[in-house]
Parts: sequence; structure tokens; C-alpha cells
Amino acid sequence: MAVDIVMPQMGESIFEGTITKWLKKPGDKVERDEPLFEISTDKVDAEIPSPSAGVLKEIKIGEGQTVPIQTVVGVIDAAGSAAAAPAPAKPAAPVVAPPPPPAAAPLPKPATVPAPAAAPAAAAPAASKDGGRIHSSPLVRRMAKEHGIDLSAMSGTGAGGRISKQDIEAVISGASQPAAPAAPSMPPPAAAPGVSGSQAHVALESAVPREKMYFGHYEVQPMSVMRQRIAEHMVASKRVSAHVYSVDEIDMTKVATLRAKSKDEFEKRYETKLTFMPFFVKAAVAGLRAYPTLNASLDGTNVVLHKEINIGIAVALDWGLIVPVVKNADEKNLLGIQRNLNDLAERARSKKLKPEEVQEGTFSITNPGVFGGLFGLPVISQPNVGILGLGAIEKRPVVVEDAIAIRSMCYVTLSYDHRVVDGAIAHQFLHKVKETLENWSEAAL
Amino acid sequence: MNKELTRKQHLDLYYYMRLTRAVEDTMTKLFRQNKIVGGLYSSLGQEAVSVATAYALEKKDWLAPMVRNIGALLVKGVPPRDVFMQHMAKYDSPTKGKDGTSHFGDLDNLHIVSPISMLGDLIPVMTGVAMGGRYLGQKIVTMTWIGDGGSSTGVFHEGLNFAAVQKAPFVLILENNLWAYSTPVKRQVPLQNLADRAKAYGISNYIVDGNDAVAVYSVAKEAVDRARAGDGPILIEAKTFRRLGHAQHDPAEYVPKEMRAYWEARDPILLYEKFLAAEKLLDAKGKKEIDDKIDALLATEREFAENSPMPPPAFADTGVYCTGDDCHKIRPNWVRPISEVTPPRSSVAPVWTVEGFGQGKSSSSGNAPIHFGDTPATEEATRDAQPLPRVPPKAGAKKLAKAAGAASKSAAGRKVRR
Amino acid sequence: MTMSATQTAPTAVTFLEAIRQAMFEEMERDPAVVLLGEDVGVYGGAFKTSEGLLERFGWERVIDTPISESAIIGAACGMSYVGLRPICEMQFIDFIVCAFNQITNFVAKGHYLWNAPAPMVIRGPSGGGVHGGPFHSANPEMYFVHTPGLKVIYPSTPYDAKGLLKSAVRDNNPVLFFEHKFLYRRIKEELPTGDYTVPIGKAVVRREGRHLTILSYAAMMHTSLEAADALAKEGIEAEVIDLRTLLPLDEETILRSVKKTNKCLVVHEDTRTGGIAGEIAAILCEKAFGDLDGPLLRVTSLDTPVPYAPTLEEAFLPNAQKVFTAAKELARY
Repeated sequence: MAVDIVMPQMGESIFEGTITKWLKKPGDKVERDEPLFEISTDKVDAEIPSPSAGVLKEIKIGEGQTVPIQTVVGVIDAAGSAAAAPAPAKPAAPVVAPPPPPAAAPLPKPATVPAPAAAPAAAAPAASKDGGRIHSSPLVRRMAKEHGIDLSAMSGTGAGGRISKQDIEAVISGASQPAAPAAPSMPPPAAAPGVSGSQAHVALESAVPREKMYFGHYEVQPMSVMRQRIAEHMVASKRVSAHVYSVDEIDMTKVATLRAKSKDEFEKRYETKLTFMPFFVKAAVAGLRAYPTLNASLDGTNVVLHKEINIGIAVALDWGLIVPVVKNADEKNLLGIQRNLNDLAERARSKKLKPEEVQEGTFSITNPGVFGGLFGLPVISQPNVGILGLGAIEKRPVVVEDAIAIRSMCYVTLSYDHRVVDGAIAHQFLHKVKETLENWSEAAL
Repeated sequence: MNKELTRKQHLDLYYYMRLTRAVEDTMTKLFRQNKIVGGLYSSLGQEAVSVATAYALEKKDWLAPMVRNIGALLVKGVPPRDVFMQHMAKYDSPTKGKDGTSHFGDLDNLHIVSPISMLGDLIPVMTGVAMGGRYLGQKIVTMTWIGDGGSSTGVFHEGLNFAAVQKAPFVLILENNLWAYSTPVKRQVPLQNLADRAKAYGISNYIVDGNDAVAVYSVAKEAVDRARAGDGPILIEAKTFRRLGHAQHDPAEYVPKEMRAYWEARDPILLYEKFLAAEKLLDAKGKKEIDDKIDALLATEREFAENSPMPPPAFADTGVYCTGDDCHKIRPNWVRPISEVTPPRSSVAPVWTVEGFGQGKSSSSGNAPIHFGDTPATEEATRDAQPLPRVPPKAGAKKLAKAAGAASKSAAGRKVRR
Repeated sequence: MTMSATQTAPTAVTFLEAIRQAMFEEMERDPAVVLLGEDVGVYGGAFKTSEGLLERFGWERVIDTPISESAIIGAACGMSYVGLRPICEMQFIDFIVCAFNQITNFVAKGHYLWNAPAPMVIRGPSGGGVHGGPFHSANPEMYFVHTPGLKVIYPSTPYDAKGLLKSAVRDNNPVLFFEHKFLYRRIKEELPTGDYTVPIGKAVVRREGRHLTILSYAAMMHTSLEAADALAKEGIEAEVIDLRTLLPLDEETILRSVKKTNKCLVVHEDTRTGGIAGEIAAILCEKAFGDLDGPLLRVTSLDTPVPYAPTLEEAFLPNAQKVFTAAKELARY
């Protein structure tokens, strides 16, 4: 039976010892407690008695060597005698800690300003006065998760505009549909994490090492939750969908004239402003009716063709961007659409949208032209497969029947997901939109 | 001072001193085999102090050892295996591995109080045990030890002062082994004899050669008897020497070689062997018997201890509170009727003796009171004091006499005038 | 005021008197109970909490000690080893730290280390608001809440004071019993006749509510109730809980309340850093994070020694206005 000989701990603060002399050599017989070797430590030198009777089988640590305490320095082949050498007691003394590993090189910190939060963790509620943050509380977040509510679309009445327990309770008691998409017939592809509404949390990564961004003078602004969500969504959308862009030019003169003529009366009669947007919405509806592939979503290898036509309209806010949805746009007339649009936009700006009002869109329209610029190349709002981007409507010289005429022209872009939609469909769709707008009948107003 | 010991008592003392040394020797080996963890203390050269003082106690008395009083524990009846297992932190040890060295106790049977590492704290605790025992009518004496170093702590003063003012039946053995770790006693205290501190508390004291087992026993026995009789606490200074370092890790190179050599020649076991041989109480055969007895005992005790397991990790989170069945049953052992501790038997009315009134020396020319008290002065204190004056007659009585005198005077006066 | 019998008088008694009754009745009931302290015997205690006890129980049971806190606690510990149940009085609880070593190393660790519980009570007047200055106004409870093996009690009503002191005497573990001196003669309550105890380790809801939970103890409990009344006028219903025992803390009652109201405010007269509010906040984060609809706030004394001047002490201490403001902010969050 082999018995270990260990380097003992000669005092509470002693962690190593040096063997100065072996008093026996391998092959020698030893008695229990017979002096076996001598050690030297920081505090005291000592003669160490043998833990067991038997034969010294092996010396592992030689004279002059320093080892930590508890190290096995040798082995005794114990005699199987009556005074059975007990198994070496497991030392209960704290094992000396190995030297700490070299500290991992810390991320270089910017010179003056505290590092911005890299991870898009849900921000802790901070009663911020700048109106840029959406915050709630652990309780509200838990309830939102349990009921599948998208907090980024909610408004709050708590301190600083936060979503409080009362707010979410109101939503829960008033909510109709669960927000989560219906169970897919096929499990989502394992490779791409599903970009599914409020559950998508793709880490925002930098293309260059972080420290390269910090030089000279700068100010760090942590992103609001909404901004983080937008960022995540954009990146994910570009990654998941095969974005292709088709541009067309639409002669909006007829619509513009009609609108100019009727808008005052319209406003007076219906108490709501008349804009260009409902025209575009109706045109898009026409296009989607004709080419339903663009009114769909892609689930793995299944194309989900939506029966409803719910058009999401991007609304620019001071603090971000939101896409409220005009539900069943195909069942509404121009007035209905306009009213819906104005109401949604207003409530978007005053943060009074309900969660269902930003969900279940099947196609989107965005209007970068309102801020100037010829046309845009918008990012598809997942899980749609197409988005129509409107350029500015401005008077341009164009050729009409071999003469130059001044017409109100508007570039439109269709960003479409080439996984589902081919160019032919896309262009035909655009053509339908163009056709609808260029041949707008007064009666349709 | 030298009380007569029987042969059995002599041999007992010798046996326990030898056993103490053998137990500590074994523990040194265990320590160097890494089976004892942490620290290990030795009472080499001080065995007589622990053994002979504890031997003066009765079974019902209480003691509290410090780390160099293993001998006292053995005398009280603690088996060597418990001492080994305590040091090895085994699950079968008295504290089940939760504390080490001599930090264990036994309230119910052996009446041992565990020390803590802070020095001097045992003094008020053992005072309390003594007071409690007295309250219950048990007529016990309590005993603990303190070193020259430990006597510098504040709690030493508070405890001994309290014991003195309460006249607690408590014996304190002050082991002056001349070194507190690396601090020699002359850096520790400004006194030649630590026993002089007793005067500050108005208590009796003894000084004894700590390496003379018989002398230590005699002094201890006398002190214990006196304490039991109600003389109050007693301080015994045992002069001895710490032969090894403070603990195993300390080679004590600060001790001058001559000092060490002097005390090695005065080894208490060696001295006692010479004494026993001279008195024909122990011969070579008898010594061999004792040697064998101790060897055999320790072999089995050590084996038992080494085979005991370590406590399981889950045990760490248990036993913080006494919650009913899992702890020591707290039951006072009443030896006197309860009526004795309740009034009117035990009442107190404020007492205003004015012994020494008007006789004290003071800076003013008038007579200043030196002592308002309700306790009679101790024997020691009065030995040097002035003889007590007579209590002056009551002030009221004086007035009356004066008035009577005045009245008669005027009466006489009147008489004369007519 | 001397007690003639063990029955309590039917009229309302002060906080102080309730404590005195508790000691009196326990010493009547069990001859193993003794009292040690400075000036507790002949003088009846600096605050008269032990008046009449010496006459009734005699000098062997009511012991006037020298000014030696270490010796008082140490001797009491020793007495408990022979089976007595000592009550130690610290003349002002501020002086308890003179015996810190005895309490934390001898008394608290005995049962864990060597199966020697110390069934003793250490009690004394604590707290400020009485112009006592920095050495007579202490709230040292957290030094001892941080010591495993002890129990720490801090009642706020005469009923609780009496019942908890009795429980403390009967408990086999060492118990620290803090008596807020501001309450000594200011509050009165009718107590039931006969023997009763209040369990250690259980908090109590003093006022039910649903908008936020206020946790407090001792004098601040009354301050919190005052603030709760003012809050009610504004439509905010605060649930006020009296912790009563700080160690062991009644987590169950706290969690139940916070799960209901989802907001928690802790009010204590102890200084801010290291006060029990931090401990409670950690527990709530660990065990009730998903139930929190607002931050865990606290109203405490400043992190300074207790100042002497009344204007300074007022700034130092919490008061009903500070509690009201904090609670309102939390309720509106």
C-alpha cells in the first residue's frame, strides 16, 4: 500500500518548504515517526517524522528543492502490519492558491467619458427628463413577457413617462390578439435567429475595434431602448432579407391637382387634413391585390401569404421611428385611410399607440421624400417582403407626347426581398402603383 | 504551605505530567505529518503548572484552559483522543471540527469552559460561573489560567476587579513563563512580580515556583480551599519558562541561550523524578510501567483519532442557533432552597458605616471621610491600615446634652440673681 | 412606583413600565433569571427600568456592577453556563461596544463552536431625538445583526416590548434587546393581564395598504405611521410594517407585502451606510425582483455621528415629512 509523504504546513502563513536533507534513501526501511527528512521554511527548520512504517519507495522532490505545502515529496511502501498505516489524511488546510493568472488585458477605456454600454440590455428605469427613454420596471417587464406585449410600442403614465404597473394592466385587460406570431408550421431555421418583433435581440457589434472611435473631443450618448431596437431590427433585416431595389417615377400631377383643389373642403368637411399618403396607400393596395406575393412573409421555406392588407406607415418621431399600421387598408376608402393615418401619426407622436397598432403589418410605406431628396432605398420592415419608399414630389420637366411639360413627379422605390419576390413581380407591382396614381379618377376621392 | 500528599497523589501528578508531555510530543509529530492543521502550541517545561493546579480541584469545580493547559484538561478527565481530534479537526472531536486546539468545553459532565483566542476573556466568564454556582448553592470553585502577556489586557482588569468586589470563589493562575511570543516580560509589565497586582484588587496572592509540582499543588490546594470558604478570588503567580517558541512555527531564536539552558536544567518532570526517587516513591520498574502505560494508551488514542473522518462540508451551515433539541439543555442545578435567595433572607438595606470617618489624611485640616462602605475591609487591607477609631456619638445626642446643660445653667443663674 | 403583585394594572402603561413588568414577571416566574448592570439595584436603573426589583428579589439576583461592560457580559456568559438566565443592562446602549469582544467572540459563537448556548439578554436604552449627543443616542444594531449567533430585537410598542423581552429571556440564544429611549415615557398602551409573549423573528403589519410598503422599527415606526396618515389624505395607501426583530429578519412578511404593493420604502433611524435597508434591498432584489414596480428607497439618518444641537439633530434624523416626501415620490413613480 502506497503512502504519500507530504510537505507539511509549519505555520498559518507558510506556503512552501525546502527539502534540505533526506535522511533515508529509496529502499531503506523506516519506522513510523522515525525522522525521514529535514526541511527549511521562512520561519522554522524542522525534522519531519515518517507518516508510516514500511520501505521508502520513491523520492519525488530532491534536496535543495522548494515546493508548495501539501506537495507529495515521496512515497512509502507501507508494511501491511497490525499497526496499519492509516490512509493519508486529506489535508484540510487551505491549499495554497496558484499564482493568479495574468489579468486579461482590459478593454481600453476612453479618456474622459465613461464607456457606453455595449450590450443592448434592457435599460434600468431612470426617471429621465429628456423624454428619450422608454422605461418600465422589473415587474412591468415580467408582465409584458408573460403576456407577450411589446413595451417599445407602449406609452406610459408613470414618472418620466415610464410604463407603470397600471399602464400594462390596462393593456392586458384591453388587449385582443396575442402579439407573438402564430406557431409556424415548420421550426424556424436554426442558423438565423428569428427576427421576430420584440424578441429579436441581436448584439450590436462594431466593425472596427472600439478604441478606434475615441479620439480628440467627443460626447457619448447612450442609445435609448427604442433606438437600440431600431438598430437591431435594421441590421437583422439586412442580414436576413435579400434586399433588391427597383425605382420608378410617377407622374403625380393628377393627384396633386385633385388634392390641391379639394383639400380645404375636405378638411372643413371631415375635420382632418388631406395629404398625399392615402393616395399612395390606395395605390399600394391595388398593387398588392394584383401581386399578393408582395403581401407575404417568409417562414423558413414557407411563404405566408397574408389575406389582410395591413399597411405600415413609417412615422418619424423626435426620438426615433415607429411604424403604426393601417389595418385592412383594402377595406377602407380614402377618407378612412386618411383619418386612420392622421390619428395614428398623432398618437405616435404623443406616445399613445396601443401595441396592436404597431403589429401585424403586411407591407410598409415610408416617405423619406418629405424631408427632401430624390428617392430612398429603404430597409424592409420584417417580417414583410416589401417596402415602398416615396421620394419628394416636385415639379420637373418631363417629356409628354414629344413635348416638354412641367409635371409633379415623384420617384418611388420598391425594396423587396428577392428570396420571395422576383424582379418581374416587383416591377409589375410598381407599374400597377404607378398606373393607379397616374390615372386617379376624381370619383375615387 | 507544603501539604502532605499521599503516594497515589504523587504518582498521579507524575503520571499526568508525563502524559501531557507525551500527548504534546505526539501532536508535534502529527503536525509535521500535516495531520494537524493551523497552529500547534506547546507547554513544554510548564507541565507542572497545568497539572498540579487542576489536580487541586474537586470534580464539581469548573476550569477553563488556555492553549498551554492541555495538562489541566487531562487531569479533569478529557481523554487524549479528544485532544488529538480537536487539533486534527475531526468530526468526532468535541466541537465536531468547528474549532481547534484547546477550544472546546463540556458544560454538563466535566465542567470545562472553552477559551476563545482573545486573552483575558475567561476571567470575567469564570467569575460569572463562580457567582452563578454560588447563587445555586453549589459551593464550587472556578479556575483559569492567564499568561504574563494576557495579564496586560483590559478585560483582565475588569474581570478580576469584578471578581474581587463580588468575592467570587475563583482562582486565577498567572503563568509567568517570561515570554509573550517574542516579548520578554520586562517589556510587558513594569513589575518584578505580577502577583503584586493582587493588591490593586484587594485580594490574596501567592508566588510559587512553577516547576516544582509539589509546591504548585500545595499552593493551589490552599487557594482553592480558601476560595471555597468564602475568602474571595485568589491570584497565584507561577514562575516558569516557556521552553519552545510561541507555536510550532516559531523557533524562538530571541531567547538567550543561557536562559534556555538554565531552565532546561530545571525541567519539572526531571525535578519531580529526582524528588520521587529520593523519597522512594518511584523506582525504575515503576517508571517503566508508567512509560508503557502511556505508550499503549496513546497508541490506541492516536489510532482512533487518525481514523476519525473529517466533518462533511454541509455541516458548516448548521448549529448557529440553539433551537430546541439540538443543543445543550440549560438546567440550573439547585443545591440550596430557592427561598434562600429571595428576600427577606437575601435582602439588602443601604448600610452607612462610617468607619474611619474623620481619621483619614487629607489636604484640608478638617477630618475627611475615607470610606463609606457596606463591606468589611479584607484581611490584607486592614493589616496596614490605622486602628479603627470609635464611632463618634450621634450628633443629636450631643445637642441634647448641651441644651440640658444650658437650661440648668440659666436656672442656676436665675437662682443666683433672685 | 413599586409592584405589589405579578398582575399588571389595567390602566395604560408606558413603554418603560412594560419593560419593567416583563423583567419583574420573568424573575418571579423563574428563579434562574438574574439581573446585572450599573446602578440597577439600589438606584433602580438610570431610567428606573429596574425600580423595585432589588427590594423584591434581593441582592443575589439584582447585582450592581462596577463600570466594566466586558466583565458584565463575560460574567453573565459564565452564569449562563451553570444554567442561569442573566439579563445584562447596558446603562446606555452606546456602551455595549465596550463589550464588543465578549459579545461577538464568546457569547455569539459558543453554541456553534462548542455546543454552549448562552441564554442571556443584553438590553439597554438606545436611539436619539432626546438631545443626548453622540455617545448617548446610538443605534448600534447592525454590528450585531452582522454577527451570526445573536438575535436582535427592537420593539416599538409597550405590548411588544413586554412580550418580546419575555420571549428573549426564555430564548436559549443570546438576545440583544434595544429599547428606544425616546419611546420610554412617550407612549402608553393597555396591556393584557396575565402572561403573554410575542414571538421573536416575526414582523407585524401595523397598517394595511396597497400602493407601497413602508418597513420600519422602533421610534421610526411611529414616524412612518404619521407619514402614512398624511399620505392617505392624498389618496396614497401605504402599508406600514413593524419589523420588531432585525435578526432573524421576517422575510416572509416583507416579501408578501412587497409582492402585493410592488414598491418598498425602508425607514430607519440608524445611519444610512450599512443600515438594514441595504440588506432588505438585497433580499428584495434576490427574491422579488420581478415584483418591483419602483426603486427600493430608504429614509435614514445621515452618515455622521449623532450631533448634539437640536437643529443639527433634527437635520440628522428622519422625520414624518421626509418619509412623506419619499413615499409620495415612490408612489407616483
